[in-house]
Amino acid sequence: MTSLAVSSAPDSLHTDRRIRLGFGGVLRAESIKLLSLRSTWWTLASTVVVMALFALAQAASLQMLAEQSELAGAPGPAMQGAEVVSGGYQFGMLTVAVLGILAITGEYSTGMIRSTLTAVPSRIPVLAAKAVVLSVLTVVVGAVGLVVSYAVTLPMLTRHDLVPALDAPDTWQVFGGMIYFLVTVALFSLGAGTIIQHSSGAITTVLGFLLLLPMILPYITLDWVQELMTCLPVSAATAFLALDDRLALAGDLTPWRGVLVVALYPAATVAAGAVLLHRRDA
Amino acid sequence: MIEAHDLTKRYGDRTAVNGITFTVPPGTVTGFLGPNGAGKSTTMRMVVGLDRPTSGHVQVNGRPYARHRSPLREVGVLLDATAVHPGRTARSHLRTMAATHHIPARRVDEVIEMTGLAGVAHQRVGGFSLGMGQRLGIATAMLGDPRTLILDEPVNGLDPEGVTWVRHLLRSLAEEGRTVFLSSHLMSEMAQTADHIVVIGRGEIITSGPVQEVIDAVQGTAVRVRSPQASDLAALVTAGGATVSSEEAGALEIRGLTPQQIGETAAAAELVLHELTPVRGNLEDAYLSLTRHAVEYRSSPAVSVEEGGNR
Repeated sequence: MTSLAVSSAPDSLHTDRRIRLGFGGVLRAESIKLLSLRSTWWTLASTVVVMALFALAQAASLQMLAEQSELAGAPGPAMQGAEVVSGGYQFGMLTVAVLGILAITGEYSTGMIRSTLTAVPSRIPVLAAKAVVLSVLTVVVGAVGLVVSYAVTLPMLTRHDLVPALDAPDTWQVFGGMIYFLVTVALFSLGAGTIIQHSSGAITTVLGFLLLLPMILPYITLDWVQELMTCLPVSAATAFLALDDRLALAGDLTPWRGVLVVALYPAATVAAGAVLLHRRDA
Repeated sequence: MIEAHDLTKRYGDRTAVNGITFTVPPGTVTGFLGPNGAGKSTTMRMVVGLDRPTSGHVQVNGRPYARHRSPLREVGVLLDATAVHPGRTARSHLRTMAATHHIPARRVDEVIEMTGLAGVAHQRVGGFSLGMGQRLGIATAMLGDPRTLILDEPVNGLDPEGVTWVRHLLRSLAEEGRTVFLSSHLMSEMAQTADHIVVIGRGEIITSGPVQEVIDAVQGTAVRVRSPQASDLAALVTAGGATVSSEEAGALEIRGLTPQQIGETAAAAELVLHELTPVRGNLEDAYLSLTRHAVEYRSSPAVSVEEGGNR
């Protein structure tokens, strides 16, 4: 069946000037790549589920929190509805991080990177396209996560009169801020994955940085360490994700400063990743 | 057309490729022959810009690979190790590669058809046999209908039918005026496929040229002679500067003289000849004698203790 080799392409392939390497094509290639893997869909689905479950758990604890502050006699820091609905980001960021890491380390572990870089030998467009596709996907999954979280917490929030008002700027600061934060986590992870190249090493490093560091640093009571801690991504993000200052871990960072600080991390890893991608042998 | 000039690649203090210069002309199948670890794959990776040369340079179709506007239309590449994500279907893999260059979906279907993958195009690559993986690699290389093909061990893992198919494919591509550069450690395969060979060992080019010239240069053409007076003839031609070997009584293998010269010598001495046949050396023997000193990973029955201790 295969002995009848038709090697030549139809003439149109030679004469068609549209057939050439371009960033639009690389973008399309990267989106097909990401969406043609089952692991992507698993990761996206678990992000939504995890976000919704955590929001639900937070909503369920509202009753308990209310009782506690009543017992204490003074109103403690109260979570607002928007924070309850978006609270799942603390777990959603983990699956989003894994997605960002695997987008590049999956290529190294399977050897796909060699195919990718022979098609796009200038290399940097590959990383740029991955960053764009990943950002879009994260925005979509973050938005879906919010809608689902909103829906599942609605009955409980109604009971406490905490349903986030969709015409309040605060609500959109938190919702928009949450999606923004997830995008920075995805890009930070993509950059870290590009630097480290190995899936397990990159996942350990990124999750350690996002989760463990904020748990360890409080035990080091040096002033500058505490200062530094307020600038870690998860802490700095509370500058715009927590509406009540007493719930924020960002020190005296204003919301906009928080937005900037959070962006520094992906900027650093993606830039370093780009330099290494350009220089290293594949 | 591939032009490598003084190409060198070092990994730490190990030199994988040491100052090699060669040209692969269009319209021919050029074999890149060498034992494992000789530097074939490293060289090919440098040609397509995956590995950066420590020194020297290499051009494909007149430019460094990365400078081409549409690399897949210039060069089709099949590398030895797998370069496909096992979680994707064959068709998805080809679609991602095609998308980078805006190559239409119908071309993807064409290369699937061409390489006999139609039946498995929607299966994930992780379950492919080595041979199907090779077919997918060849399909990928053919996507852009490139002017130059670089194939690292393309017949590795293919069944006999697949081997024949690749051989015909490569021949017809070369006949269309394309440049075909393939590596192999299988001498017999090279002998049937390649017009020219470049022999590499321990990162250096040992010899290169048209296949038959390489063989002749190494072995010289032997002439097989049968004669009832073989020993008389042997004495005569040895005196004339030829080398003679004999594996059975009455039969000689003479090197260093043409059949005409031997026939005339015999006639002048009135010796009877029963056979006078030029014997062409085969590539396998030539290869073995060329690379005898260039085998990096020699299989030895026993490694001496001193040798091991030096490492």
